[in-house]
Amino acid sequence: MLNAMVALSIIVIVVGVYFSVRKKINSVKVNNISNLLHRLRPETLRELILLLLILLVVIFFSIVIDHYLNARLFNRVSTSVAIIGILAIGQALVVLTRNIDLSVGAVVGFTAYFVGQQLSQNNEMTPLVAICMAIGIGALMGSFNGFLVAFCRIPAIIVTLGTMALFRTLLVEYSDAQTVLTVNLPQWLLELPRINVVSYEGLHFRLVVAVMCVVVILFHLILRYTSFGRKIYAVGSNPEAAANSGFQSRKIIFITFVMCGALAGLTGFMYLARFGNITVVAGSGLELKSVAAVVVGGINIFGGSGSIFGATLGAVMIDLLENSLIRWLQISEFWRDAMLGMLILCSVATDSVVMKRFRKYRLKKITQKEEKL
Amino acid sequence: MQIDNLNIKTPSSNNIIDNDFRSSKPPVLEALNISKSFDMTQALDGVSLEMRPGEIHALVGENGAGKSTLIKILTGIQQANQGELRLSGLPVKINNSQEAQAYGIAAIYQEPMLFPDLDVAENIFISHQDQGFFVRWDKMYKDAEKILNDLGVRIDVRNPAIGLTIAEQQAVEIAKAISMNVRVLIMDEPTASLSDHEVNQLFRTVMQLKQEKNVAILFISHRLEEVFEIADRITVLRDGKHISTNLCSAVTKDGLVREMVGREIDQFYAKDETRTVGISVFSVKNLSKESTFSNINFELHKGEILGFAGLVGSRRTDVALAIFGISPADSGSIEIEGKLVEINSPQTAKKLGIAYMTEDRRQLGLVMSMSITSNITLASLSKYLIRFGIIKREKERKTANEFKNRLQIKTTSVEEEVGILSGGNQQKVMISKWLNTQPKIIILDEPTRGIDVGAKAEVHSMMRQLAEKGFSIICISSDLPEVLALSDRILVMREGRQMGIVESQHATQESIMSLAMGQSKESNYA
Amino acid sequence: MSIILKKLKSWEGFLVLILICTILVNSFNSEAFLTLNNQINVFELSVEKIIIALFMVFIILNAEIDLSVASMMGLSACALGVLVESGIPMIPALGLCLMIGALGGAFNGFWIAVFKLPSLVVTLAMLIGFRGLARVLVEDRSISVFPSWFEALGQQPFLGPFPLSLIIFLGCTVFVVFVLQYTAFGRYVYVIGNNQKVALYAGINVVRVQMYLFTAIGVISALAGILFAARLGAVRGDMGVSFELDIITIVLLGGISIFGGKGSIYGVILSILIVLYLRNGMSLMNVTGHIQTGVIGALLILSVLIPNLQKMIYDYSRQRRKRL
Repeated sequence: MLNAMVALSIIVIVVGVYFSVRKKINSVKVNNISNLLHRLRPETLRELILLLLILLVVIFFSIVIDHYLNARLFNRVSTSVAIIGILAIGQALVVLTRNIDLSVGAVVGFTAYFVGQQLSQNNEMTPLVAICMAIGIGALMGSFNGFLVAFCRIPAIIVTLGTMALFRTLLVEYSDAQTVLTVNLPQWLLELPRINVVSYEGLHFRLVVAVMCVVVILFHLILRYTSFGRKIYAVGSNPEAAANSGFQSRKIIFITFVMCGALAGLTGFMYLARFGNITVVAGSGLELKSVAAVVVGGINIFGGSGSIFGATLGAVMIDLLENSLIRWLQISEFWRDAMLGMLILCSVATDSVVMKRFRKYRLKKITQKEEKL
Repeated sequence: MQIDNLNIKTPSSNNIIDNDFRSSKPPVLEALNISKSFDMTQALDGVSLEMRPGEIHALVGENGAGKSTLIKILTGIQQANQGELRLSGLPVKINNSQEAQAYGIAAIYQEPMLFPDLDVAENIFISHQDQGFFVRWDKMYKDAEKILNDLGVRIDVRNPAIGLTIAEQQAVEIAKAISMNVRVLIMDEPTASLSDHEVNQLFRTVMQLKQEKNVAILFISHRLEEVFEIADRITVLRDGKHISTNLCSAVTKDGLVREMVGREIDQFYAKDETRTVGISVFSVKNLSKESTFSNINFELHKGEILGFAGLVGSRRTDVALAIFGISPADSGSIEIEGKLVEINSPQTAKKLGIAYMTEDRRQLGLVMSMSITSNITLASLSKYLIRFGIIKREKERKTANEFKNRLQIKTTSVEEEVGILSGGNQQKVMISKWLNTQPKIIILDEPTRGIDVGAKAEVHSMMRQLAEKGFSIICISSDLPEVLALSDRILVMREGRQMGIVESQHATQESIMSLAMGQSKESNYA
Repeated sequence: MSIILKKLKSWEGFLVLILICTILVNSFNSEAFLTLNNQINVFELSVEKIIIALFMVFIILNAEIDLSVASMMGLSACALGVLVESGIPMIPALGLCLMIGALGGAFNGFWIAVFKLPSLVVTLAMLIGFRGLARVLVEDRSISVFPSWFEALGQQPFLGPFPLSLIIFLGCTVFVVFVLQYTAFGRYVYVIGNNQKVALYAGINVVRVQMYLFTAIGVISALAGILFAARLGAVRGDMGVSFELDIITIVLLGGISIFGGKGSIYGVILSILIVLYLRNGMSLMNVTGHIQTGVIGALLILSVLIPNLQKMIYDYSRQRRKRL
């Protein structure tokens, strides 16, 4: 069963990458660097820069920290990114429609606890059932958010601020302050984070990371190749025009919240697999990290632009910084949060300034070209 | 714009023959006896219009003649109070823009509404209801390219729409309409923001639509030379009424202007005896702002009313915004009483004694949910403060009541919400607000727009009194009789350029209109 | 008489009703509720929140939001602890804390008012950022080196039976009511929140007003942090987490529109009482803190949901009447 999943995930990854890259290859006829810059969309350029920055960060840390650049770094970061990466995708969907979901942390905590408790009491449950349970509950919670935002027209910040508290309370009540203990969980669950798809001299490409890759590619494909996905962008890009064009904006927003909840549920499952012990404060703070990943990854906070890959890169950057700072003995690990805040601010500020300049630059180039005609 | 370099396949002489043939085709969209009123104003009064396939029907008229209202009714955004719409002979009701779209009626405005982050090709196809679940990018790009190529427009369909110029955005909107098999295309002032080159391209596109796809086109424009070049028939509206519909070949430009403007000069708008005008208090030299306006020069004298005339898109408001500091100019100079000043913000402008009353009272001029009193004192609150910034309410109320009496603002109490007043009274509140700042120079932007005849007269007499008291007034107005009657001199603008300054004594409505449309050129004397 | 009826039908009237119900239920559940001691206690326990809430009214009226207030509170409390620990005398330390608040607030204000970034994102970033700085200062420890007079201030009666913090709260209330209802600045806040463009076109210096607002709430958050430190006698890196929820709930429940420009401070005073009494009542019934938070969360949603539903029903019935 597990091997089948592994094989399937490899196939999906390969296929997905092929499709995503194919379009870019066909459309770009590159003569030189300026032509490339000209033809690249600002969003893609930003993602490439982010990738470059990630490499720079790795290089920086490998200089200041001894024994930094090794297989263990890859293993640790990739396992941890698997969790925040999936969550960032859900948040990205919501932010693209010009909304926000601050309750995802609570959803992660609740689903992690619920599934953990069910598994503790019923060790015979199959993995498939457990995962579906997590996703289903997450989707349910997401639909509550979606209903209030889309149909009751309450601003998303208010709704999710409220449900953040409500869902956490739900968790506390349901758990009766009991903790889910690792000892009670089935073995396969605890083994899950260690399963490798492929290994190479200590460099482990873990199953959980593969799962994240599958989800990333799946949603990238949805956003890129389905009309539903394109409408998500449209709703965020110009809500008025969307309403005028006969979209069902509210249905679309509702569905994005459901999807976000479902992904949060999946994250909950993976959180459970990773940590085992689930207390009532599980998942606290993840919502802020997911927003940070989305913003750093280049998704416009007003929606309409940005990509899943960008959000994933944002998640990688954040997690990388966190994991690296812990090992940098010069700076206290407590700088982590302060730095995260500044990172978000810098991303938004530079986006606002640089993107505007870049667009003006492109516009000038286009009009210059036209005047030559 | 030079007409010669327009390479269109059908020279105008062929129009007559083609038109006879076309007039035998039944109309695709008819408006019969449409009437529509808003509050006090009768926007349309028994207007009929018909559009035939493969025909370009031009609609001309001054600002406020009713063109926009008619378009809104045809595209389902508004509903007529009386009258009927017929599609291919059958009566229809168009209740919203989706229904209009379903009937094949599409409109293109001066400011297109696209999705800035989506690709051009997506923008064209995204509203289609019958798209499959999966997006076929290759097909979409190919189809979009084909449509645009057919239109003779070169836009990279793979770029996001945000980088497009207005001309390109309009082309995309047209492509969108074509992709949805448009039958009736309404174009509202499409050329107002375009360069000559872009206009040529647009006309090529339009001619193609007319000839190859038999689309019925309603073309609204102020540029008469364009109308003559491209239209088959021309309808003139004035004051909400239908004045005439003729074949293009049967009318002349002067005749059209006369019909657009012609009304008996009311005693109501009788010209004043010449006011005595004092020394120059305000002078503007070579004021320019990139892509907005250029080389504006004038002097304003004490006790003078300087009218700013021009058509929609002439950028008069932008000049005012530059003088008032909201979007300052890039170059040029402003002098007040001989001293050079730099106006970077509305606060500076206020301190220098300049007041600007906006034309958009709902969005920019008044806080609808606040009281009349609060609105009147909003720009001059510092006069009502005692220690610690406390507002003296009784003093405010006193001022508000004074204005209420002086301007005859009809309301039960000055504490009423401004939002429930009629348009005319709201305008008076706005005027009070600016008068209360005790300015030396007042810029009024369309001060009598959307208010009834009685209130208009009151506003006019107030402006005259102010001039007599020594205030200097710039009055931006699209109401020609008003401008002529009130102003001492009139500055005419067209598309950001100054066409001339005329003494109102020597001017007529036709001469101003001609200047505003670029028909003739007057020398600029300050 | 009809004026009273009109007032009753309004949102404030609705709040008065809820308040009365809450008081009745509480007094029924516990005879200790109406005692002076309990009343003072109720306010004392939440004095930091409600002081910040008073000033949050300004921000939300201005059609902005500030999610970083609780983190700034924590930051200033931790800063106080660290400063005192390193030997700086109390009074200058207090002054420095307030200055930190001002700087933080001005920092927010710069990005929001001058750079025109959305306040949601900026203050969300600073929510993380300020808390991070607090943790850098205090790390894992808990600092409790405050002089006893300082801790006494927070708990002992100062003026009659009322502790200093309560006096400060009352002072702030008077100040906020005064500024909003009687001064030009207050009116400018309303106008900017209602329609920023009208304010601009009327010559109001929007940037200056917004800078003042964010700096002020920064200082107040710092003050709240000091009061918090005084009350607890110790500071930790994770103080005041999720205070934002209560604060924003109080403001919105009080009738201030999240879109800005509308709402009255008197409604907020009522909602302060409601939220405090609600929490108190729940505590008296031995309801856990977590459930209380959930109830507040539900209250937040309801405070926007109910007016929305009202509006939708009203619009719907108007449309139906039009058709007939």
